Amino acid sequence: MARIELVDLTKHYKQGRNLVRALDGVSLTIERGEFVSVVGRSGSGKTTLLDLLGLLLKPTSGRVIIDGVDTADLGDGDRAIMRGERIGFIFQEFNLLPTLNALENVMLPLRYRRHRDPEGKARALELLGAVDLLDRMDHKPSELSGGQAQRVAIARSMVNNPALVLGDEPTGEVDSETSMQLIDLMRKMNRERGVTFVIVTHDMEIAGRTDRMIRLRDGRVASDEPLGAQTAAV
Amino acid sequence: MLEILRNLTRRKLRTALTVLGITIGVLALTTMGSLAEKSNSLIDGGVHYFRDHVSVAAASNGGFGGILTIDKAKDVLKVDGVQAACADTGSNVKTDLDLSFNFGPGDQVIAEQPGCQQYSTFKFSYAGGHAIDDYGSGQLVLGSDIAREYKKKVGDSMELPQPPKKFNPDFVGHQFTIVGILEKTLTAPDSFAIVSFRDGQMLFGDSLPSALKGHVDATQLATGINVYGKPGVDLDTLANRINDQVAGVRAIPPSTLVKAFETASVVLTGITTGSALLALVIGGLSVINTMLMAVTERVREIGLKKAVGARTRHILVEFITEATIIGAIGGAIGLLVGWALTTVVNAGLTSNNQAELFLLTLRLVGLAVAFAVGLGALAGVIPALRAARLDPVTALRHQ
Ligand SMILES: Nc1ncnc2c1ncn2[C@@H]1O[C@H](COP(=O)(O)OP(=O)(O)OP(=O)(O)O)[C@@H](O)[C@H]1O
Ligand SMILES: [Mg+2]
Repeated sequence: MARIELVDLTKHYKQGRNLVRALDGVSLTIERGEFVSVVGRSGSGKTTLLDLLGLLLKPTSGRVIIDGVDTADLGDGDRAIMRGERIGFIFQEFNLLPTLNALENVMLPLRYRRHRDPEGKARALELLGAVDLLDRMDHKPSELSGGQAQRVAIARSMVNNPALVLGDEPTGEVDSETSMQLIDLMRKMNRERGVTFVIVTHDMEIAGRTDRMIRLRDGRVASDEPLGAQTAAV
Repeated sequence: MLEILRNLTRRKLRTALTVLGITIGVLALTTMGSLAEKSNSLIDGGVHYFRDHVSVAAASNGGFGGILTIDKAKDVLKVDGVQAACADTGSNVKTDLDLSFNFGPGDQVIAEQPGCQQYSTFKFSYAGGHAIDDYGSGQLVLGSDIAREYKKKVGDSMELPQPPKKFNPDFVGHQFTIVGILEKTLTAPDSFAIVSFRDGQMLFGDSLPSALKGHVDATQLATGINVYGKPGVDLDTLANRINDQVAGVRAIPPSTLVKAFETASVVLTGITTGSALLALVIGGLSVINTMLMAVTERVREIGLKKAVGARTRHILVEFITEATIIGAIGGAIGLLVGWALTTVVNAGLTSNNQAELFLLTLRLVGLAVAFAVGLGALAGVIPALRAARLDPVTALRHQ
């Protein structure tokens, strides 16, 4: 339920003599409860944008303001706390720790909270139920299919009741049918729990199922449009 | 916690090798250490034993080569500052040449002139029975090691010296009745057989080469004289005075003996320290190696944990705990093997009528445990610092 403001955000990398402008002056506002997709060609800066939103990276300049908190003022520890307690992550691959079973993976973010959450385990079980994997909770990641692993990751991203969930190509490794199941699941979480979602995708069908599509080109916002039922078919 | 155990079992071979490294380290520490502890305790006993009196022996150029007569004790008593001069005798319990590996001089039959015990600070306490009658004959008190070696208890009889394995026409044995057994002292008296002075003189006389035997009067014999100083008298000075004033004897200043013992002690402490260092190097390197490999292998896991909120100290604690557990497991196994080894060797030696070689003291066990756990933790720190400092994005995208 976060309101996110990005103010003239840039991220530059020095690559030998060249300066790579991975992100080059992005300003946007994402409202609470929005489901936003970020699209664009490879190298356009999608992952960079998401990493900045998720406080995994520090910007070269500009600001990321989450619910009025300017994250530039936060130290590494506070950024970690904010990630753990307010932001959920779904990555393209390697979401789960191989030594932990599904339930333990869902509960992983609970381990790093500042205060023990007595309802954490109940919520983890409830979420595993919501992603329809209660019968697989004892399974190790190696014993799960790709789609099942991503569903565990979706449950994990929600366990701390985050305000914002970020997904970097969360459906990138599964077939299109499974992709649709996953995006429907995320939409359900978004609607039922009011959590803000920002996902990166290459798949226009996936993007079409979101509220708003932001297209990046060379580190800048090329287009930013709300999606209705009509555009969803494109 | 469970996750740590699973991490350890995931790489079974590597964990096993690391545990083995620490095990070897701790094994080296316990065996070498208990060897040193055993001899240190003997040395401590020696230092204690030698510090309270001046030992006087026959001068090496003296007529009978190593044999004194008791009237020398009277001469020594006349020297200024001497409180008491007690002749004693010492001879071997075994008549066969003893080639076994021993720290001490082997089992000794010891006797001192009556009325001298009061001057010594070295007091005996009895596990059973009582002291011999100083003026009597045929009574015997055994040290704890020697009692166990010959499986003797109070009331049993024992032949002294022990008959040789090969028949020897010159051999003369005497039957003694055991009236007391000493409490274990962990030092020299454990291998003492104590008889009255008269009996000691007789046994000493018997042990002399047959060429000498006919020429001496056994009742006048002594092996040495223990000289006790008057209160406040410096024993080293007293020793020099005895050497100046009494002919045919050699008084050894206690500090010389104490120093000799302490030198031996330093050498043995060196062995302990050396083995501890060896253990440190072997064990430490293998834990560092395991944990560094674990970091490289688990970079992405660390990245993921950081993404979901783990702070630097969480990662630090997880890695150090893992390393500490490795250390503790290795330490426990090493200690167990070391204990088994020293116990078995000791038992083997005892059943072969030899003195124990190892002494696994409580402080050594404590040292080994602290060492293994501390080493594990310490060796975990470096990789843990490296792991914890990783930037989440770099870690997460690590290939
Ligand atoms: N650590 C880095 N060092 C140097 N350049 C980088 C680094 N990370 C990203 N870049 C560059 O920044 C640009 C944007 O990268 P980014 O990963 O954000 O693209 P993307 O839109 O996610 O691409 P893709 O669709 O392939 O995932 C690229 O040109 C990339 O080469
Ligand atoms: Mg990307």
